[in-house]
Amino acid sequence: MTVTIPVGVSVNLQGKTVEQRQLPEDALFGRASYGKYAYAVGCQRLFALLDRHGIKATVFVPGAEAEANPDYVAALAARGHEIAAHGWAMEEMDADGIDERALLERTHATLERIVGRAPRGFRAPHGRLSERTLGYLAALGYCYDASFQDDDRPYALDADGGVGMIEVPQSEILIDATLYAQRQTHDRVMKTWREEIEAMHREHCLIALTLHPRSDYGSARASRIAALDGLLSWVSGLSGTSFMTLDQIAASARTQFR
Amino acid sequence: MISLARRTQHHWPDGARCVIGLTLDFDGTSLERGRGQLPYGARSHGRYSAKCGIPRFVDMFTRQNVPWTFYVSGYDAEVSPDLVRSISRSGVEIGSHGYFHEGTDPGDAEPELLERTHRLLAEITGVEPRGWRSPSGHKTARTLRKLRELGYVYDSSDKDFDLPYLARYDGEERNDYVCLPNNTSSLDDFPFYRVSYTPPSEVLAHWKQEFDAIYAEGGYFNLTVHPRVGYGSGSPARVAIVERLIEYIKPHDGVRFVGMLELAQWCLARPAEWRRDWSGQ
Repeated sequence: MTVTIPVGVSVNLQGKTVEQRQLPEDALFGRASYGKYAYAVGCQRLFALLDRHGIKATVFVPGAEAEANPDYVAALAARGHEIAAHGWAMEEMDADGIDERALLERTHATLERIVGRAPRGFRAPHGRLSERTLGYLAALGYCYDASFQDDDRPYALDADGGVGMIEVPQSEILIDATLYAQRQTHDRVMKTWREEIEAMHREHCLIALTLHPRSDYGSARASRIAALDGLLSWVSGLSGTSFMTLDQIAASARTQFR
Repeated sequence: MISLARRTQHHWPDGARCVIGLTLDFDGTSLERGRGQLPYGARSHGRYSAKCGIPRFVDMFTRQNVPWTFYVSGYDAEVSPDLVRSISRSGVEIGSHGYFHEGTDPGDAEPELLERTHRLLAEITGVEPRGWRSPSGHKTARTLRKLRELGYVYDSSDKDFDLPYLARYDGEERNDYVCLPNNTSSLDDFPFYRVSYTPPSEVLAHWKQEFDAIYAEGGYFNLTVHPRVGYGSGSPARVAIVERLIEYIKPHDGVRFVGMLELAQWCLARPAEWRRDWSGQ
């Protein structure tokens, strides 16, 4: 029997909401302008690459980014990418003084209105959750979370407060920001990823690749797209690999657990 | 959103396929002085620029016979006026780069610092600067207003696009001021020599890949290097890497090395080609 090894490519659509946490609009220049790269260049280039490879990605979108670019987010959904929730505007869900539930509900409603379908998955901005986050998500009808980094395969979240939900975990080392934020060269990033993915493939783990459409900690510079192009071709050639959205991966895991 | 791969609206000087802007930020002791530090001992890296790094870069650029652009902080110009004057007289453009290489937004003090540096560079070189590069990357709409008032026509500080574009601030796109973006995560020496401590040979391989991708798409290559030791490229092995990169680029069909002011004036003479789609911004 052939084994299917799921490969989940997700994109955290982080534009200028990242910088806007600290700075007003008229200060988003110079080193504070990287976020604007996402919609000027980065998304176009990154999703063109994924489309070329026939990969349906899961796109985690902050509600505020979707509200600022509704047509673009709707178009991504129309191209077959899964639109999932990524907080409202890059807030940490465990921060003091925020109304977590209201932010989650607002994001949920905004994405549903723009995409025409409620998001089924969530990823916490900065990977930060409170003890209540999963419960709020379950109440809103979310099927899965993708914020944890603690397993080789999906698992059930019931014991953590996400009743009925599945965790589709990330791999820290397969998040582009982990390496590009440390200003590693393309060659070193690709070498690291190939070594990690080769071993995950050998042990039939979930291969979860997380990308950002930015030019500082993300993969969207032309040179990085070229490097990623080669990596995706190599991954798709590994025996048994299958590119799936995180929603599909969660659904497949759920049938195994029941 | 613009497909840079398919974009055909822009043209480069001499019908070039790709322009190469080599930029050197002086980064002398202005950094340490600006922080109130004495540039002695382990804090003496900035002194290397004027003594070793800049002469080595000047020799290399001369040997390669390529134009380059020099961004200088006001304080560094005051400390090394003869060096700055002689480089200016050799035909190299001197742009301004803060007074104390201000690492954070100086707030209300900024207009005076910009003016002071502008005056200093003009007095020392006899030429008024027309270009600016943000020290450490901070820049706001207030910076743009003051630069424009002082007669600047471009700055090379933004990271949000892969081509030159007409500046937009205070809600208005300008026909008389162009942004010539740089990138301090991938086409700069600091990220590799300070953040990831990558060996020079691997940095060369990385920059060659940057060139290959840019040559194939858009054609705007802007490299930022510093003549310091430490995070910069002033030492022998690292200047050699920049020279190997220039030698790698040169044989490509249709490459043209440009000074940044020359490029800014080229763009501003045909502003319609450098308008950017601001939707979703």
